[in-house]
Parts: sequence; structure tokens; C-alpha cells
Amino acid sequence: MSSNESNPNTKELLKMTGIHKYFGKVHSLINVDFKIDEGENVGLVGDNGAGKSTLIKVISGYHRAEKGKIYFKGKEVKISSPKDSRALGIETVYQDQALAPDLSISRNIFMGREPVVALGFLKKKVMDEESMDALKNMGLYLKSPNITISTLSGGERQGVAIARALHFKAKLVILDEPTASLSVKEVREVLEFVNQLKRKGIAVIFITHNLHHIFSIADRIVVLSHGEKLADIKKKDTNVDDLSELIIRGTIG
Amino acid sequence: MKKPGSSLILNYNISTTIAFIAIVVFFIIFTPNHLFIDIRNLVSIGTLMPDLGIVALGIGMLMICGEFDLSIPSLIPLCSYVFAILLMKGINPALALVILLPLGAVLGFINGIIVVKTGLPSFIITLSTMMFWKGVIFSLSHMAPISITKYINPHPYFEKMLIGTIGKLPIQTIWFVGVAIILGLLLHFNKFGNWIFATGSNKEAARAMGINTNMVKTTCYIIIGILCVFAGTMQSVRLGSFNATQGIGFEMKAIAAVVVGGISLRGGIGNMLNIFLGILIIKVLENGLILMRAPVFGIDAFIGLALVLFAIINNFIQRRLA
Amino acid sequence: MKNVENRNRKFLGSFIDISSLGVIGILLVLITLLAIFVPGHNFIRPDNIKNLLSYGAEFAIIVLGAGLLMIAGEFDLSVGSVLAFCSFVFVKLFSLGINPFLVAIITLICGAVIGMINGLITTKGRILSFVATLGTMMFWRGITVMASGGAMMPSDTSEFKFFTSVFIGEIGKIFQSQVLWLILFAVILGFILHRHKFGNWVFSTGDNERAARSMAINTDRVKIICFVIVGLLVAFAAIIQTVRLAAFSSRSGTGLELEVVAAAVVGGTSLRGGKGNMLGIFIGAFIIVIIKNAFVLARLPYEWTYIAFALMIMFSVLLDLLIENSRKKVV
Repeated sequence: MSSNESNPNTKELLKMTGIHKYFGKVHSLINVDFKIDEGENVGLVGDNGAGKSTLIKVISGYHRAEKGKIYFKGKEVKISSPKDSRALGIETVYQDQALAPDLSISRNIFMGREPVVALGFLKKKVMDEESMDALKNMGLYLKSPNITISTLSGGERQGVAIARALHFKAKLVILDEPTASLSVKEVREVLEFVNQLKRKGIAVIFITHNLHHIFSIADRIVVLSHGEKLADIKKKDTNVDDLSELIIRGTIG
Repeated sequence: MKKPGSSLILNYNISTTIAFIAIVVFFIIFTPNHLFIDIRNLVSIGTLMPDLGIVALGIGMLMICGEFDLSIPSLIPLCSYVFAILLMKGINPALALVILLPLGAVLGFINGIIVVKTGLPSFIITLSTMMFWKGVIFSLSHMAPISITKYINPHPYFEKMLIGTIGKLPIQTIWFVGVAIILGLLLHFNKFGNWIFATGSNKEAARAMGINTNMVKTTCYIIIGILCVFAGTMQSVRLGSFNATQGIGFEMKAIAAVVVGGISLRGGIGNMLNIFLGILIIKVLENGLILMRAPVFGIDAFIGLALVLFAIINNFIQRRLA
Repeated sequence: MKNVENRNRKFLGSFIDISSLGVIGILLVLITLLAIFVPGHNFIRPDNIKNLLSYGAEFAIIVLGAGLLMIAGEFDLSVGSVLAFCSFVFVKLFSLGINPFLVAIITLICGAVIGMINGLITTKGRILSFVATLGTMMFWRGITVMASGGAMMPSDTSEFKFFTSVFIGEIGKIFQSQVLWLILFAVILGFILHRHKFGNWVFSTGDNERAARSMAINTDRVKIICFVIVGLLVAFAAIIQTVRLAAFSSRSGTGLELEVVAAAVVGGTSLRGGKGNMLGIFIGAFIIVIIKNAFVLARLPYEWTYIAFALMIMFSVLLDLLIENSRKKVV
């Protein structure tokens, strides 16, 4: 199959065209086009301040783009709050903002979306059981859903956050630097979680500084630089050395 | 193996229990004639404790979501004053209490909305509103007490409902335990409780999950306002009058009780059972020291000491666990 | 030449920035209004000014320290209780017939140690300073009341003429020596805050503690030193007050904590730390004192001052927020 034509078996999930974002006088996204297919795994790379975080915050509803259009499953959508993006099935896992460290695993997984009976009282049993199922689904075997997050390792925490996204039937999971400040072993765990998502047919946008991490999991790599899209390459058409040179140089050719 | 139970058990801080038992044993042994376990003394603790206790339960919940409220020593007399005024206008006391509830809610709402909209330290904001309402209440009442007995006496049911006894058990104790149970259910078995913990533990994560943390905090302030109505009314019915100094020092004692109850000062960690025990400890400490003939104001020294000591112990325990 | 001018402007600018110009303006307007409108021109009568300055000096000396501490990002609510306790220590030791200078030195040491305890609890115990000092506030008040039995105690130091004149000696008709002490402290602390590296450490500790620590600033030590400075200044104010009133009262300094915070905030100190200047704090203290004085002269109920201070804090805070927000929009 030719790599330049879209696979007829996969459907386009999210498409953004002509996205502009300003912060005061700073033009932090300049006419960015971005798309991701169902079940695709896209790595988003670029130097600090390249606009990676801004782009995903536009997708997850934290920022609103001044210009540009967003399509989800072919239909134009407006994402003006995190609620909107979640309603579409987009789950974002932020580096430090994903979990409440003092709360138990099950309370974290259902945070803000608690299953309740009358008057808002919790279905604790349902929460606990479903949490354990969600974790097992990710290949994460923890003793009890009542362990507090602060006692987990960095890799396990990412696993809980990703399990949460999976449990709520996400179609697109955005991972913001999930491997930053993790040990080598924990990184391997997290990359395995991402592969799990892929096997389940869930699209993933993966942001990182580490090109080796991207190369081990991504199908396609998007490079941002100074707010502009610099490159959009299939993994098999490039390699780590070319890509890092591209990022450092900041321009094509 | 740890039983998969509610976080009521999970987060229980054992140091509060140890302190409670130690302090009770100490006073049983060392109060003159073992007065501490005299039934009359226990009844008096049960009668007096709910004034502070009912409000302190709400303060505990607020502190779990990471904020403070120092305005209660002004909100309590303010509610109590309006209650006395309503009675003087010939309004039925039960109706007056119902009318007061929205007032308490509004007072709490004012605190909450200023705190969340300015994003400034809540203790400074509520210290200011405390001073503000203190000024208002002092200028309105000229610090003169208003007797309300003649308005309450024709309504024995109202009086019985707030300050009566069942056998020897004061009704106040039942109210106190009742409020503790309601707030405990809310905190540990309701989604709102989950939002409170999430807000105190990691506000950004809570927001990312669609929780309106400003609403959560403001609601906690409103709950405190309503509890102030209740405590203020109960206290003035017991005293038979409105007093401008009702609730004086409660802001510190409530914080001390909650900290002794093992609640993290940074929010996110806490337990209603612990808060309940913390309040008991503060009141038992006060009572026992009085029985041992410590000068009344000197007792504050011990409460202050307990506050600092327990804050340090809590930090130590939490760092050990993490 | 231009360079020198620039440097001069910078030197002055470090003491006087835009925000403190606003505070000076408020002070001047306030004084003018009071001078004109207070009946019988009582406000500008020498005895009133003398009274205002002598009380104001005590208050402002405490505010200087508390403001410094707030710039470092911490609060001390125990100042009122520590004032009473230090005053008690002074009176008690003096009544034992110890030389008043020695008594004063012991009182100062006492204040410094209490400040250090506050600092250690806050930094090493890792407790929010307002909770720690709420605890020590109750503690020292309780100790003072217990030790004194809650009674007033007379303490006349007037037979020690030199000692008395050092603290409250008259200079002309209006000034007393405590005003000189105040100015001395303000200048020293102003230099430390704005011209000494320690001041830089204070600002960075209050602004971004983690960043300061990563630049090898011992933020705990900075905070403890600020707490010690507060303790020392409170003890000094306690000595002046006790000598001036020739008595000790266990209730002295109640409610002082809010007035002190109000003064610092009105003077442009940020409640979040990292922002403020000595001149502003100095002026803020006198704005509070003058408003209190005006309430007395106008025979307004004392309770109204509570409302006034609460509103002033809210107003300053809102103004600060507005300025901050508009600044963000410009960027």
C-alpha cells in the first residue's frame, strides 16, 4: 500500500485546519493544520516554546483558537471548554495535573464523573470494581483500588491516568510528556500502556522531548517550530538522526 | 490485607485517638475528686461542646478543600443578633430560625466568592470579613445583651428541640452528632465529598476533570454560614440572650480542633471521625483544665500549644507515609 | 553624566516606586482633609500630633518588621500577644530592681527568641505561618495572662532619667525620641531590603521560593531571620509602650495582627509575598494610625475602625488585582 494515500480502512478522527492562537502579542500557533486517524499514534515533537502544549490545549478546550476550524469525525465542532472535548471522547493526560495525590485510585478514576445513587451518594462498590477492571485492562495489577496515588510509582500513576481515559471510552488520548522524569523501567511501562491503547484501536497523540520514545511507538511524527508546523512524516520515512537535526535546525532544507 | 473499605477508614489518623484516650485518662486521674467523670461534668461537656463543635465540623470540611475561615466569631453573634431582633418583632422562633438560614448562607457566600474570585489567602480575607462583621455587630448592638427568654418561653417545643434533654443526654449532643453524621456522609460517601478532596489535593487535576473547584469552595463556606446560624441560635437560646461576645475565640479553637483531628493544612487529607475527635479533645482539654483550676485565659496557651504540636506531628506522619 | 543621573534615579527608585507615590498621595490627602475638617482643628493641635506620633512610632516599628516578613511570604499573627508578653517581662524584671538597660536587653533577647521559635515552627515544622503563629498567639497570650493573673501592673521608670529619655525623651514640643528610633529602624531596614543582598533574598524567597532555593538561597534561614527581626521590633515597641504608659496590661496588643496586616497591605505589600517596599510600609502604618486617630477625634464609635480596616484591606487588594490584571493584558 502506498504510504501517501490514506488507508481506506481507517477513518479520519480529528482534523484541524488553519489554527491561529495569540497570547497578547505573541503569535503562538501560526496557521497550523493537524489531523489524526482513528487508532493512529502520532508523536508531537518540537523544542520548548514550539507550540506543542498550546496545540493540545486547543484540542482539549483549555484555550480557544482565534482562527481555524476543528472537525471531529468529519463534522465541524466547537471546543470551548474541557467538558466539550471530553464529550467528544478526547481525554488529555497532563504531566502534573492528572491525579489528586491524596485520593484513592478509584476516587481518582471517577473524579468528576462519579457513579451515584440518589442525592449524589457514591456507588462505592461499582467504583472499586470498575477501577480494578480498568487497571487490569491496561495490564496494571495493583493490590487495591483504595491505595492513595501518592504511594504509587511515576509509571503506575501514568497507568492509572491512562486507564481512566480508557475506561471512559476515549477515542483519542492526548499524553503530555508522559515519560518526563521517569526511570528507564517506568518509561518502558508507560510505552507499553500506549501500545495497549493502540491495540484497542484508540488514537493517541504523544508529546515528548525524547525522540527515541516517539520512535518506539508512533506511526507518524509531527514537528512544530516557533508555532508553525515544520514537518509531518511517517515514521518509516525518517529516522532519529534526521529528525533531531530537523528540530535543532528549525527549518526544512 | 487491607479491607477495601471507604476512605473513612483509609485516611483515619490514629494519633488523634491516642491523644484522646491519653487526655481523658489524664483528667480522670488528676482532676480533684475525679470530677472529670462525674456525670454532671459529662453532661456539661455535652451541653457546651456543640456551640463550637457544630461549626468546627464545617471548618474541617473547608480545610480539606484547602481554605480557612476565621470569620465565625463574628458570623455567630450576627446570626444570634438577627434572631433576637426577629423575636422582638413577634416572629415565631422556629420561623425566625428558618428565615435566618438564607442569611447564614449569604454570609458564607460572601466569604466564598471573595476568596475564589481574588485568589488571595483565605485567612486574610476571612480575617477582614471577621473584623467587618464585628464592627457591624458591635455598632448595631452597642455590645448590650438582649434577653430573649420571654419570647422563647411560650414555645417550649422550640426550646426542647434545641436545648432539651432526653434522660440525662442533652439534645445539643444529638444535634452535634447528627451534623457530624450528615457531613461525614457528604464527605466520604457522596460525590461532593470526592470533589472536596480532589479540590484540596490537586486543584488543577480536579479542574481538568470538569470539577468546578470555585463552586466546591464556595459551597463549603455556605455550609459554614448555615452551621453558624444553627450554633448561634442554639447558644443564645441556652444563654437566654443575645451576646456580642458569642463565639469569641472560636476561629482559633476550630482550627486547633481540626488540626488536632489530623487534617492536613495543605488540604486534600482528612476524615470526619478525626475532626469529631479533634473537637472532643479541645473541649475535654478546656473542661479538664478548668476543673484543675487553671485560669480561664491560660487555657488558650494549652490549646495554642496543642495546635502547633499536632500540626508538626501530622506533617511528620504524612511525610512518613508518602 | 547621564549615567550618574540614571543611577541616582535608580537609587531613589528602589525606595520610591509608583505604588508608594500613590500611598504618599493618600497620606497627604488624608492629612489635608483632617486638618481642614476636624472640628476646632483638633487634628493639627500639637498635643494631638505628639500623641499620634508617639503611638504611631510604636505601631509603625512593628509594621516595619511584619511588612518585611510579608515580603518574604510569611505572616506573624502573634505580634499582639508577643507585645503583651515582652511588656510583662520588662515590668516583672524591672520590679525586681534590675538595672533598666539590662532589663531592656533581656526583653529584646526574649523577643528575638520568640521570633526565632515562630520561624523554626514555620520552616522546620513546615506549617503555614499563619497557623503556627495563630498557635503561638494563643500560647503567649495565655502565658501572659496566667503569669500576671490578668492584672494591670504599674511600672514607673521615671527615676531613671537617662533610660526614660532614651526611649520617650522629648525633643522640642512635638517630637519624642521614639520617632527617631522609628526613623532609624526604617532607614536600616530600607537599606537592608533595597540595597543589601539579604533584601534580594527576601524578595526572591517571597516571590518564588523554589527558584530561590535552586539559586542556593537558604530560604528557611531568610524566613527565620525575618521572624527574628519581627520579634526584636515587637520587643522594642513593647519597651517603649511600657515606659510611655508606665504600666503593663495583659490585654495590650489585642487585635494588633489585623491592623499590622492592613498597614502593610495599604502600604503596597503583596499578600502573596515578593512585593513591597519600606517607604510604603512606613506610610501605610501612619495611614492606619491617622485613621484611628480621626475616629477618636470625630467621636465615632471605636467599632467602626474594624469596618474601616477590613474595607481598606479589601480595597487595596482589589486595586492590586486590577493593576496586575491590566498589566497582564498589556503583555
